[in-house]
Amino acid sequence: MKKIPIKGFVLLVITTMLIYLLDHPLGALPAIGRLLEPVNGCLANAEPVNKNFSADLKLPAVKGGATVWFDNRLVPHIHATNDHDLYFLEGYIHATFRLWQMDMETRAAAGRVSEVVGDKALAFDRKQRYKGMGYAAENSLRAMEADSRTKLIMDAYTEGINAYIGTLNYRNYPFEYKLMGFAPEPYTNLKISLLLKYMADDLTGSTDDIALTYLRDILPRDELELLFPDRIPGSTTVIPPGTVFDKPSLTIPAAPPDSSAFPHFEPADFGEPKVDGKGSNNWILSGSRTASGAPILCNDPHLALNLPSLWYEAQLQAPGINVYGASLPGTPGVVIGFNDSLTWGFTNNYRDVKDFYLIKEVGGNKNKYWFAGKQVDYVKRVEVIKVKGKPDIVDTINYTLHGPVTYAEQNARAGGLRKPLAMCWMGHRPSNEMLAIYLLNKARSYNEFVDAIMHFECPAQNMGYADRQGNIAIWGQGQFVNKWKDQGKYVMNGTDSSTLWKELIPMRENPHSLNPAQGYLCGANQINTDNTYPYNYNGSGWVNLRAWRINDLLKDRQKATVKDMMDMQQDTYSELAAGVLPLMIKYLGDSIKNEHSLINIFKGWNYQLNAEGMEATVFQIWWQYFNSELWHSDAGFSLKGDYLPLQEKTMQILQQNPPQDPNITYKSSLLSASIKSAINVSFRMTADSFIRIKQPDKRPPENREWYKVKNTTISHLTKLPALSYDHVKIGGWGNTINAAKNDHGPSWRMVVQMGKEIEAYGVYPGGQSGNPGSKYYASFLDDWSGGKYYRLDFMPNADKQSDSAIKYTWTVQP
Amino acid sequence: MDSSTIKIMRFLFSVLIIALLSAGAEFLLPWWSCAVVCFLVALFARQSGGRAFLIGFLGVGIFWLVAALLHDVANEHILSTRMAALFKLPNYWLFILVTVFIGGLVGGMAAWVGATLKPNSIKPSR
Repeated sequence: MKKIPIKGFVLLVITTMLIYLLDHPLGALPAIGRLLEPVNGCLANAEPVNKNFSADLKLPAVKGGATVWFDNRLVPHIHATNDHDLYFLEGYIHATFRLWQMDMETRAAAGRVSEVVGDKALAFDRKQRYKGMGYAAENSLRAMEADSRTKLIMDAYTEGINAYIGTLNYRNYPFEYKLMGFAPEPYTNLKISLLLKYMADDLTGSTDDIALTYLRDILPRDELELLFPDRIPGSTTVIPPGTVFDKPSLTIPAAPPDSSAFPHFEPADFGEPKVDGKGSNNWILSGSRTASGAPILCNDPHLALNLPSLWYEAQLQAPGINVYGASLPGTPGVVIGFNDSLTWGFTNNYRDVKDFYLIKEVGGNKNKYWFAGKQVDYVKRVEVIKVKGKPDIVDTINYTLHGPVTYAEQNARAGGLRKPLAMCWMGHRPSNEMLAIYLLNKARSYNEFVDAIMHFECPAQNMGYADRQGNIAIWGQGQFVNKWKDQGKYVMNGTDSSTLWKELIPMRENPHSLNPAQGYLCGANQINTDNTYPYNYNGSGWVNLRAWRINDLLKDRQKATVKDMMDMQQDTYSELAAGVLPLMIKYLGDSIKNEHSLINIFKGWNYQLNAEGMEATVFQIWWQYFNSELWHSDAGFSLKGDYLPLQEKTMQILQQNPPQDPNITYKSSLLSASIKSAINVSFRMTADSFIRIKQPDKRPPENREWYKVKNTTISHLTKLPALSYDHVKIGGWGNTINAAKNDHGPSWRMVVQMGKEIEAYGVYPGGQSGNPGSKYYASFLDDWSGGKYYRLDFMPNADKQSDSAIKYTWTVQP
Repeated sequence: MDSSTIKIMRFLFSVLIIALLSAGAEFLLPWWSCAVVCFLVALFARQSGGRAFLIGFLGVGIFWLVAALLHDVANEHILSTRMAALFKLPNYWLFILVTVFIGGLVGGMAAWVGATLKPNSIKPSR
């Protein structure tokens, strides 16, 4: 009889446990063994720097042969023989380079992040569900699939993504799947719709309706108009003043009595913070103002700066289409770009298309609410949120005839509104923006451009246009409601039928300008029109500082070149600093000036927020402290940050109450200090904090440089610093043309001259590959921050190319 | 050949066999298949527990090192540098070292188990 090998069994148990532990995630750590094993784990994603991307692909779904040329920046130029193959290949290529990002973004849109990261994302997922993101995406999906053109391209695109997913096993999963421990799932047309709604929400998501409802009650009416006007005095407009608008085909409705239209809030009802606006610049010069005589269009949409980037450059060719530009991985087509006839760009329009209604619940009955004197049943939508490692969460969301009850008891977040508010959002309605993109990509003339954008309902955009015939144009495009004055500016009474959205304004009556006498057009998130535009509208984020600067630079500009326009996109001149700093310095008492030599830093400053300048750091800190000192932080609710009057408004108040004026007696119940005292106190605070700015290496001057203090960060979607780039060396701020903020900024800079030859340049802060193990992951970042551009290689629509920039070729056969 | 040379040859042969079989296994099977390889090889190799651990450790460790370096050198350390940052390691070669150590540990343990559990008939005579 042999000995029982106890030692052996103990070792066996220990070894099995070791392997088990290494095979399972531990807390925040991924399954280490699986991740580190060098054949299939993360190192399998370490792409050879000299990888040859060329391939012969057999893809049975493809109907004809196709070729994809990758240039030296890994931009694909796809040449197909029909629409199906073109969008199939676009999907296949998006998935090849950006699959995980598409998965995460569509999960984020749908509120399905908890499914892969656990309950830390639950609050986020809930918010998405209560906003009705899934409801919105399903509505638009029906509209998109009802049109045979968009049905075809979406099916082909999704099929392409899934064909790529079908080739994957664990070894070639994108890196982040291994890190986070989940697997790709099949793509669907619904995900395309979700992603479009994600963009719509991002661009029409912020709202000041709730804050304004409260301010409206606590401020005298003239004060409210002064501090929170729709139209800041001196505003420029997207559509040049003097433009003659079409006679409105609809009758402008009269406003109902105030008492029936608007409810009242108590301070305790409060606190949805206003999300910072998404700005963008778009300017177009007619040939009369350029050196070449051809029009130039410049666009730089300011969006969240992430890795992998939101954008992916691509050229798409098939019979009837040859288009180049920034595509949005997860959706077919090119969103911003140019084709062989014309070019277009987008900036956010900010006409308010998201309104809120206070719902009157029926006491004792959770299934009904009051409307027009009757009890109405909620439509219930059950939302199941899967949570990794936990049981599912089931929420029932009540839909009223306005829309989902977004703010409800179940959804009360820290500081959230405690009253039931239903959201009425244009994005909830069925619309087919995909068709607009598809037609825009193929458009050959101004008329075709206009026909295309008539399908672009939400998010409303200012769409800039230039073509090779020399036309320039801009449209304030989107689907809008024929509102009575101030309808939807404040939270409305949800029991009264007079507050409902009624007629839609025919989209061809939207404000637009074609070849204006001034020879240029500029959309930089300022108000759309002067007050001769017949319909009522209010805004949800109009700003003026960038628009003022752009107009200043363009109004006398002659013989502009492409290079001039690139330089202009790098401009960091602060209209705000130029407008307020001399006054602020004048207000300072002599004793403070003598006490703090810091004030001398401004001598000779040109008001450029340079990356390496320290003037910008001092000014920005001072301005921030000044605002929090000046405006009440406790007027029943916090005005700090979120609900301050626009900075251009504060600037105007300063300018209208100059220090030499003995009666600087501007008063408001929102002021917590006099202008003079706020300036002096805030300067002391600035001087103090400037000394305290972190100086770990004891070399203070470097650490006070503006770019180090503001810390523009291009963050990986997981927010992991190891996959992100912080302290990117770039100047500017949200109110300068080069609007690089902490995590937002120019996400795609493009300058296109539409002459006989198309001269196009572009750059974005990222790279063509989403793989953190690829040298193409962030390969454009330094050039982006350094203000450099790439000449965009627009290849002729042909099945053979002799372009020397072509580095790799895919030959695709059915 | 004297017996110590034979012992060394046998030792090295076992290491090589483990490295090669682990490589084959991991191309087709889950990452921990290298542990099964070590276990089986140790079961039939005439090695004592301590030496079996070393064989497993070196066998898997060498294979993981070679595989990691093949990826990493061609990649010019882009990914290993990020992974090092992710695990708060100061540089990429420490990341490679940790990788190799974990592979080696699993291989060594599995081989030790094999050596301890094998039938008496193939145990080395003392």
